Amino acid sequence: MTPIQWGILASVLTLAVVVAAAAVLLYDVLNAIIAFATFSFGVAITWILFAAPDVALTEAAVGAGITTTLLLVTIARTVRQSGDRLLEKVDPRAALTAILFTGLLATTVDNLPAIGSPQSPIATSPITSYYIENAYPETGVENAVTAVLAAYRGFDTLGEATVVIAAGLAVLVILQQEAYA
Amino acid sequence: MSNNADTASDTDTRAESINNPTYVESTIIMTTVRLVVPFIFTFGLFVMFHGADSAGGGFQGGVIVASTVLLLAFAFGIDATRRWIEGPLIRTAIATGGGLFILIGLGALINGQFLEYAAYDIGTTGIKYGIELVELGIGAIVSGVLIGLFFTLARGDMLTEGDIDQRSSQEQHGSDRS
Amino acid sequence: MTPIELFTSRYSYIVFVALVGIGLYGVINSSNLVKKVIGLNIFQVGIFLFFIASGYVNGAAPPLIEKGAETAYASPLPHVLILTAIVVGVSLTAVALALIIRVYNAYGSLDEDVIREVQLND
Repeated sequence: MTPIQWGILASVLTLAVVVAAAAVLLYDVLNAIIAFATFSFGVAITWILFAAPDVALTEAAVGAGITTTLLLVTIARTVRQSGDRLLEKVDPRAALTAILFTGLLATTVDNLPAIGSPQSPIATSPITSYYIENAYPETGVENAVTAVLAAYRGFDTLGEATVVIAAGLAVLVILQQEAYA
Repeated sequence: MSNNADTASDTDTRAESINNPTYVESTIIMTTVRLVVPFIFTFGLFVMFHGADSAGGGFQGGVIVASTVLLLAFAFGIDATRRWIEGPLIRTAIATGGGLFILIGLGALINGQFLEYAAYDIGTTGIKYGIELVELGIGAIVSGVLIGLFFTLARGDMLTEGDIDQRSSQEQHGSDRS
Repeated sequence: MTPIELFTSRYSYIVFVALVGIGLYGVINSSNLVKKVIGLNIFQVGIFLFFIASGYVNGAAPPLIEKGAETAYASPLPHVLILTAIVVGVSLTAVALALIIRVYNAYGSLDEDVIREVQLND
């Protein structure tokens, strides 16, 4: 990765981490929701820098659009607790648990392959080369992600459509309504 | 809160604004949304239909189409948008999408296995047509469910609706005073 | 390996660990139920970052395969998994928010300590 590319990626990721920390530490719920929307936007840009345009489209529309709107509707329907504080009180036991968990995971980063190296297990795996070489000749579709999603792993996509419909029905049952509109 | 002298439509809008503090009428938002929404909807349909040859597909297109309706709800009020969308449109979209996916899968059982698009044998193989129809089905499901979720959450709990406004106004006044 | 080398070659994994820690802290510490849901979403996005960063190859193009081009392509499998995971995640968030609305109607507050007190007093 060229230094300029690394610089752009590192600054976007740093922005994402700082805004995520702000979303967790701010006291007012509305401020936390706005910080979360910015975090989703920064993450969507990160997906573009990682050569994943499908995921970036979905993340931008879902994270910064749908989830933020649903959170805002929830606090409009319930209550928005606002007070005088800007930041929440930091609980030392919770912070210690999070830091221990983070430290435990950080010791494993050393053993992971470098990001972008052509010898990483995913880049050299026979599955990846099979899909990249055979997606267009077998299915006639240029987008390998759509080919894998709808043709090679179509049954998983059927399961996911079931989960989405089940969530829609579950919300109707929880809120005791009978129709959507 | 006496509104004896108002006509029916004034009572409706005032009741809507009391029960529904989510709507603030703003000319800028209304004008911008009125201009932009047709293009966003067309772009969502474009992304849904072109999932095979460029980045996109059913999920992306479905979410963009759902955001169109959410934008309209922001601009014109949730109740007004709910009245506009009324009827069996959302559940028809969800049922059509789900049924399309399952029927394409079951139809391949005639001379193949479940969800084997090559069993249709249309054109070179049936796979590209199968993929595109399945993406349309997924787009219909995702957009229908997300729009339905938004309206369901916005209405809240139906059986205790009367208590909500009283308690929420008490809560807000209480927290303002403290 | 030296810290500078760790930093430049595995920065996304460090950010993944940081996001997971922040999300976990948000879920444990926040007393407001809606902020717990926000912490959960931050945790999920950290996991997605781990998957997509591991599928990236230097100088790779997105997996939109053109006939005859010989560039390296990013692996399409992590993208498929994360696409499904994002949509399932938004469904999960919606069901959690519906439960929060019911909890608010039953107990009158979104604060976890107040809810626990009301439960104890019942």
